[in-house]
Amino acid sequence: MVDVIIEALIGATLLASVLVLLVPDRVAGVFATLLSLVPLGGSLWMFGQYTGTGNVLLGGTRGFESTLSGTTLVPMGPYEVQWIAAVDGIALPLIALSTILTTLSIVSAFNVIEERQSQFYGLVLFLEAALIGVFSTLDFFVWFIFWEAVLLPMYLLIGVWGGERRKYAAMKFLIYTNVASFVLFIGFLALIVGLDVESFSLIAITEALQAGQLSGYVGLDARTLLVVAYWALFVGFAVKVPIVPVHTWLPDAHVEAPAPVSVLLAGVLLKMGTYALLRYNVTMFPNLTQQFAEVIAVIAVVSVIYGALLALAQEDLKRVVAYSSVSSMGYVILGLVALTVYGIGGGTFQMLSHGLISGLLFMAVGVIYGATHTRMIEDLSGLATRMPIAVGVFFAGAFGYMGLPLMSGFAAEVFVFIGAFDAPALAGSPVFTALGMFGIVIVAGYLLWAMQRAFFGPYELADGVDTPESAGATDIVPLFVLLGLIVLLGVAPEIAFGMIEDATRPIVEVAGGDPR
Amino acid sequence: MAATIFQLAPLIPVLPFVAFLVALTAGRWLPEKGAYVGILAAAGSLGLSVWTLLAVNASASSLYVANELYTWAAVEGLSLTFGVLLDPLSTFMLVLVALIATLVFVFSLGYMNHDEHHRERGGLPRYYASVALFTASMLAFVLASNLLMAFIFFELVGLCSYLLIGFWLTDRAPASAAKKAFLVTRFGDYFFLVGVVGVLATFGTAAFAEGGFPQLASDALATSSPVGPDGPLQWLPGGIDPQAWFTILGLLVLGGAIGKSAQFPLHTWLPDAMEGPTPISALIHAATMVAAGVYLLARMFGFYAELPQALAVIAFIGGFTALFAATMGVVKDDIKQVLAYSTISQYGYMMLGLGVGGYVAATFHLMTHAYFKALLFLGAGAIIVATHHQDMWALGGLREHLPVTRWTFLAGALSLAGIAPFSGFWSKEEVLFDALIVGLEHPLLLGAYAMALVAVLLTGFYTFRMYFLTFHGEPRSDAASDPDPVGWAIKLPLVVLGTLAVVAGFVNMKPVDYYVGADLLYLERWLDGVAGALSVTHYHELLSYSEAAISPLGPTLLTLGLALIGAYMAHLLYNVPDPDRYFDGTGVVDSLLKHNYYQDELQVWLATGLTGSIARVSNLFDQRAIDGLVDGTASAGLIGGDRVRNVQFGVLPGYVALLVGSVVVLILVAGLYGGWWM
Repeated sequence: MVDVIIEALIGATLLASVLVLLVPDRVAGVFATLLSLVPLGGSLWMFGQYTGTGNVLLGGTRGFESTLSGTTLVPMGPYEVQWIAAVDGIALPLIALSTILTTLSIVSAFNVIEERQSQFYGLVLFLEAALIGVFSTLDFFVWFIFWEAVLLPMYLLIGVWGGERRKYAAMKFLIYTNVASFVLFIGFLALIVGLDVESFSLIAITEALQAGQLSGYVGLDARTLLVVAYWALFVGFAVKVPIVPVHTWLPDAHVEAPAPVSVLLAGVLLKMGTYALLRYNVTMFPNLTQQFAEVIAVIAVVSVIYGALLALAQEDLKRVVAYSSVSSMGYVILGLVALTVYGIGGGTFQMLSHGLISGLLFMAVGVIYGATHTRMIEDLSGLATRMPIAVGVFFAGAFGYMGLPLMSGFAAEVFVFIGAFDAPALAGSPVFTALGMFGIVIVAGYLLWAMQRAFFGPYELADGVDTPESAGATDIVPLFVLLGLIVLLGVAPEIAFGMIEDATRPIVEVAGGDPR
Repeated sequence: MAATIFQLAPLIPVLPFVAFLVALTAGRWLPEKGAYVGILAAAGSLGLSVWTLLAVNASASSLYVANELYTWAAVEGLSLTFGVLLDPLSTFMLVLVALIATLVFVFSLGYMNHDEHHRERGGLPRYYASVALFTASMLAFVLASNLLMAFIFFELVGLCSYLLIGFWLTDRAPASAAKKAFLVTRFGDYFFLVGVVGVLATFGTAAFAEGGFPQLASDALATSSPVGPDGPLQWLPGGIDPQAWFTILGLLVLGGAIGKSAQFPLHTWLPDAMEGPTPISALIHAATMVAAGVYLLARMFGFYAELPQALAVIAFIGGFTALFAATMGVVKDDIKQVLAYSTISQYGYMMLGLGVGGYVAATFHLMTHAYFKALLFLGAGAIIVATHHQDMWALGGLREHLPVTRWTFLAGALSLAGIAPFSGFWSKEEVLFDALIVGLEHPLLLGAYAMALVAVLLTGFYTFRMYFLTFHGEPRSDAASDPDPVGWAIKLPLVVLGTLAVVAGFVNMKPVDYYVGADLLYLERWLDGVAGALSVTHYHELLSYSEAAISPLGPTLLTLGLALIGAYMAHLLYNVPDPDRYFDGTGVVDSLLKHNYYQDELQVWLATGLTGSIARVSNLFDQRAIDGLVDGTASAGLIGGDRVRNVQFGVLPGYVALLVGSVVVLILVAGLYGGWWM
């Protein structure tokens, strides 16, 4: 079992998904929770056991690779589609994040999802399996199937269990991200055709690219081909992240999605985009990343500031949190493009941290919505005295989002700032960094202002708002687990940053940048 | 022996941190809702701090640095660590913070628990937990051995002030004031953080001592090729001159100090912060939040000492703030508001002291101010408990009923006004004298001195206006004519602080020392006792100021005279049975002062008017232009408009079929493209 642990993880999660579909609705939640402990336990075990070094695409250890890995699944013309599954210090924390958030979001859904439970939980587990696949497979074709497989359950989870405008939001999400997938798919295939490789193995492709094997074809020279492929990939991933200006599917999807789905959407799905940017654009094309560093840094800083300003303008608590994701993801991009150990490592750490913190906030908003049936800030006042625990946890999470020291968000942001400030790859790096850092002021502004209005002051509710009841244990426990993890990673970031740093250093060395 | 206590130093902040956890989780079941836990922890920290101070005194170098007690982020070439730096400055500050915190805990028992009005509003465990966390954060900040760690606890201090200013969370005003305090100080901290990151990038370390960045900066200024494998610096941005770059870094870090120490233009949060419970005001103003800014600059004074432009900025901000805040203090009606503006003004003196190179004077004033300002706030708290009023026009005549409060308050007022021989006189005089001797040689700085000098007159006036309106004349409300008695928990801290406000100044009587020559500068000798780069002597070597050789008699008599004139004017106007209001807010100057020069209006406009408008316009742009384009493209495209609606058949298998179908199509396209069937 341990020899094929990645395969076992994906298989067990898929199996769990099918089993949950078969049980009656009333026990589906508990059943799904128990089954989800299998991938959770497995990924945490892997996290604890991991001793590998280096980056899996750059000659590093292929962590937990089984004997099945390398098997040809199907021949496709001159190429072979292979099963390659292995992890490194970048993938493993994200797999752990996926399994943790899945289990917690299943538990938090107990009081939220009131119909077709077995289908709901089955889809959530299916989503989890696809996510593990995205973060662990290293054959482009297989990876892409997992990448697309994530869309299916997410589309249904929003479209079936969502709010009033769920169909619009789900369709927008599907079309938007599917078009993006198509762009990246074509872009990458165009690249492969010009390479002298025999499989879709990302490891082989990376090696070939580094060896400068790319040749032009159909009238395109190699250089043009590279640039086109680079930007096709970038756009494809940018939609998922999302980066301004391709972000508008996100607030609609979040507002319509039920809270447990928002947790997964913000917590893990967005990280697919940044993970892919790191794996493909940054790792495979470090020179192009350096060449376009200033352009991408502008996009990153605009995402940070513009996203924060949008969050400031929102009246719906959930939209506030949704837009703040755009802002936070901007820091990831800034870190990646810095091409330093602290920059890329900090960006990766931010993926993890943001997954936990945004998950916490969406969950807490869900609890508040579940009790009052409103998310409009102006409808609420003085909620702190009526729902002290839910408000208290939201409050703590909000300070995490603001980058309060000794919570994970601060560590992530400071790593990014340290990495980006003197980044040799980025002309004008101190200016970009300082501009982006102003986000920490705006984020404090919109979160404190929202909390002041909704949570403090005398307790009074607008007409038609339900009197809140105290939240149940299944609402509260996941919140505290997340809060604990956020503080743990803030106090001891090395728990994850050690392996992240180890996997990012080879990228920096390939890019020829400052090893620091 | 000494080594042991140095290793135990991390316990100093850990004790109150444990009290925080206990009060937070179990406070509601504890006697007095966690007050005793807090008192014990703070007293324990005080004991350890005193022990540490004695051990530093006894050790040969008076210095203990352990910068790598805990590695927060281990990266080859630049690890981020937590550690402790024990030297005369930090141990002196530890004792100060722990002492004030202990007294505030004791006072809180009287103010929050024993007062019916406060007790019945509840939330006491949260109160004690927050105060304990506040104390822990500040103590850890003081111990910090590097700039990043200092920033981390600086921020936590900011969080705690937010929690406590907004303590009465069912009222609207405290939540707003707390938000303002956090936001305004965070605006300053933004610059601070840019500075921290810049220091790390430039020097590759943020340590204060033992090869720390102040030392590296010195080395860099002394060499012609500072960057490189052998040079002291790791990096300089784009060929900039090191001196200029260090000045930029120094000013960035200064941003944090301006925010926390409530200096112009980031002082606006502090008067609003009076919404917090009064013992918290004492803590914030005397020992924690506001003191953090000045302490930060003193901690890294070796860095600033070589940057004359940065020092001049600090001196001017300080001198201007001292005067600016004093003018507003003159017209306030609320006793806590007067004290708030006096705090801003007094921290201006400390800034001025640092800016003219008066490291000892600024530290001295930080200490005496801590005692007399904590005393005055706790005195105001006692008045609030006794009368439930804080508008001075509803007080008056309290000297008969509250003798302990009255006499201790008077000691504090004399100290604040700078009247000999009370403690504030000695420290303020030393700051002003340092500013004068430097100003005489550098005429530009004489302007900063002049502003601070005028402020002395105003300080004497507003302090005694407050004192007379509160304790003299006829009672102007029922509560003031028959105040409730106050208990031991309130009187004890007042007496301790009252004594300190009288005697604390004797540790550094510079004018007396000058004439008597009896070696009376105990504080200066204490701060200079440390070996190497953190000593006063070393700082003086680094400073490029020249000093005029004048005797202190004239300047001392001048400041004392001004303070007495101010106090006397207050006596004439307000020490009468039924004083006039004088400042009723009708004249131009009057309304300008009453409205604090419209500073708040300006900042509120910047935050909500300007930024809010930009945010709304951005939002409109986002929904209409960007998202409009997306929707437009979708409905104009193949899968848009009606057809989208048509496929919403709402049956699960249909969706599955659609998705599986689209994946199949993609694979087919890819296969064809990749030559699958060729």
